[in-house]
Amino acid sequence: MTEASRQTLLESLPSSFDTGPDWLRALRGRASEALREQGLPTKRTEAWRFTPVRSVVDTEFSREDKDVPALVSELPAGVSIRSLKEVLETQPQLLEGRLDLGGAPSHFAALNTALFRDGLWIDVPKGTVVQAPIEIAHAVPSSSAPGVAYPRVLVTVGESAELTLIEAYSGDESRQLSNSLVEVDLGRDAKMSHVRVHENAGLQVGRVDVRQGPDSRYRSTVVTLGGALLRFDVRCLLQGKGAECELDGVYLIDGDDHVDHHTLVEHQAPNCRSGQTYRGIVSGKATAVFDGVVMVHRDAQKTEAHQENRNLLLSDMATVHTKPHLEIDADDVICSHGATVGSLDEDQLFYLRARGVPEDFALAMLTYAFLESIVDRVSHEPTRLRMREALLSRIPHGDEIRGVT
Amino acid sequence: MLKIEDLHVEVDGKPILKGINLELEAGQVHAVMGPNGSGKSTLAYVLAGRDGYEVTKGSVTYKGQDLLEMAPELRAAEGVFLGFQYPVAIPGVSNIYFLKAALNAIRKHRGEDPLDAIDFMKLSKKKAALVQLPDELTKRSVNDGFSGGEKKRNEIFQMAMLEPSLAVLDETDSGLDIDALKVVAEGVNSLRAPDRAMLVITHYQRLLDYIVPDVVHVLINGQIVRTGDKELAKQLELEGYSEVRDASQL
Repeated sequence: MTEASRQTLLESLPSSFDTGPDWLRALRGRASEALREQGLPTKRTEAWRFTPVRSVVDTEFSREDKDVPALVSELPAGVSIRSLKEVLETQPQLLEGRLDLGGAPSHFAALNTALFRDGLWIDVPKGTVVQAPIEIAHAVPSSSAPGVAYPRVLVTVGESAELTLIEAYSGDESRQLSNSLVEVDLGRDAKMSHVRVHENAGLQVGRVDVRQGPDSRYRSTVVTLGGALLRFDVRCLLQGKGAECELDGVYLIDGDDHVDHHTLVEHQAPNCRSGQTYRGIVSGKATAVFDGVVMVHRDAQKTEAHQENRNLLLSDMATVHTKPHLEIDADDVICSHGATVGSLDEDQLFYLRARGVPEDFALAMLTYAFLESIVDRVSHEPTRLRMREALLSRIPHGDEIRGVT
Repeated sequence: MLKIEDLHVEVDGKPILKGINLELEAGQVHAVMGPNGSGKSTLAYVLAGRDGYEVTKGSVTYKGQDLLEMAPELRAAEGVFLGFQYPVAIPGVSNIYFLKAALNAIRKHRGEDPLDAIDFMKLSKKKAALVQLPDELTKRSVNDGFSGGEKKRNEIFQMAMLEPSLAVLDETDSGLDIDALKVVAEGVNSLRAPDRAMLVITHYQRLLDYIVPDVVHVLINGQIVRTGDKELAKQLELEGYSEVRDASQL
């Protein structure tokens, strides 16, 4: 169902919030206020410097009723999936303090907080270990007129519980804006593998906010295969001692694609470990942005944090902006970071060709190997194979590579 | 099979090869010996078609064709094989899968059907045994984490798989202890055949005790200064390159 009226994103903010529990109305009010003060990002907004959204900000969108992703896998025993709207109406106290992004949301996240109508709450109770992944798919809007949706997901994984979540975003209609927000709350010793696939992402702004309890483990694997305009943030707060996160990502873009990945890991507690490994292949006239931050708070001693972004540029017209950085306030830490932008290794290419592999096939093999090593870190095998398949379907000579692997 | 005539090659504008003449018949093994910096590896790379080597004069004819005009993969398809001095590691590309791609590309060029997975694995097991390359290594990423000896055995394993007409082996002995050297040499010897020629490039005579050449060339400062039989290699070992060079200038 589409509402007839079309408004810019900021115009669509209501003057007051009259429904829902008090805390939600207050939360939406704060988000709305922040937006009225800050506006949406401009070229001068540091975190959006390389990703201009002026055209998005100026567009009049109709509000699409697509805030609830569809569950496309079986629901494993012990896991509950409920509509956020339904819980907010019947048991709002269950969600209090869990939809607030740990403070003051800004920009698109604030917009989602102010305007989402529904969404999913995935809850894995204490001690529940789920082997089969849960997969949710975000709806592809049908309208050809500009439309906007605000998908919202809350994932809570209780103490010593385990979950694999796959989120699929697809749809190449570049006039449809998806502004999604996923919050993840991991209890003590909880484990989660979170795979997010953007396939032909049209117009996408997305953010994942993770809060981790003591000794919890979180792995994010972001696979971006094309995107007209995609901005995706993963933010991990390591709040409990001994928590670990691995934020992995691959992007494979071409043509006029523009994809921007931001990561932020905040080490708030001691003895935590984090890794960020993003790799991208940029062809055509495409632009890739990577901005990764590690913050180590003063009390987060014995922190280990690593960060790496490697890019292969396969065309003279392609652009990469990469900025990994560390902000360290503790003294007993092991941290590393690095970024590279380059072309394929000539020695490797020659080796393959000297054995008889045609040049374009050799290029494809090296390209695939570069990205596959990241996807290979997904431990759930069927998911890993699916991600490989997604890469192969996009890489030139994918069929032939499939034939020899 | 291979005829090199008055070959001059520059790298970054600097002359490295200064008029090489060499003729290699099918069934023959020739050794090219020379000190460091004499142009041995340049000769190997030029024959395999690596970028960055500018031929300023001369010609290389292989099976009646102009070898220098051919892309590296076409040379391989036509039966030229280079055993690298320093085989590069390629993380993420499995040895066996890459070799299957290479072999099938070569078969396609010859108008043959690709080998199916089962036949390929059979062939690979047989050839790996030739150089005592463990099965596990054939499946790992190309040369990734291989020891020096394993890399060289992997080169000869690949040569055995691809069955070239002309094998150029660039310092296959470097970095090998005597046991590994014997294994590699035995592998090479088992591949000697009436329709196959080999150009064995080495600094030391030691390798030629195991791979006995028909002809030995001494390459110094970009030129072949002496050509002889296997006794020339022994003479070099005793007298050193400077003696041979000085003698050649008489």
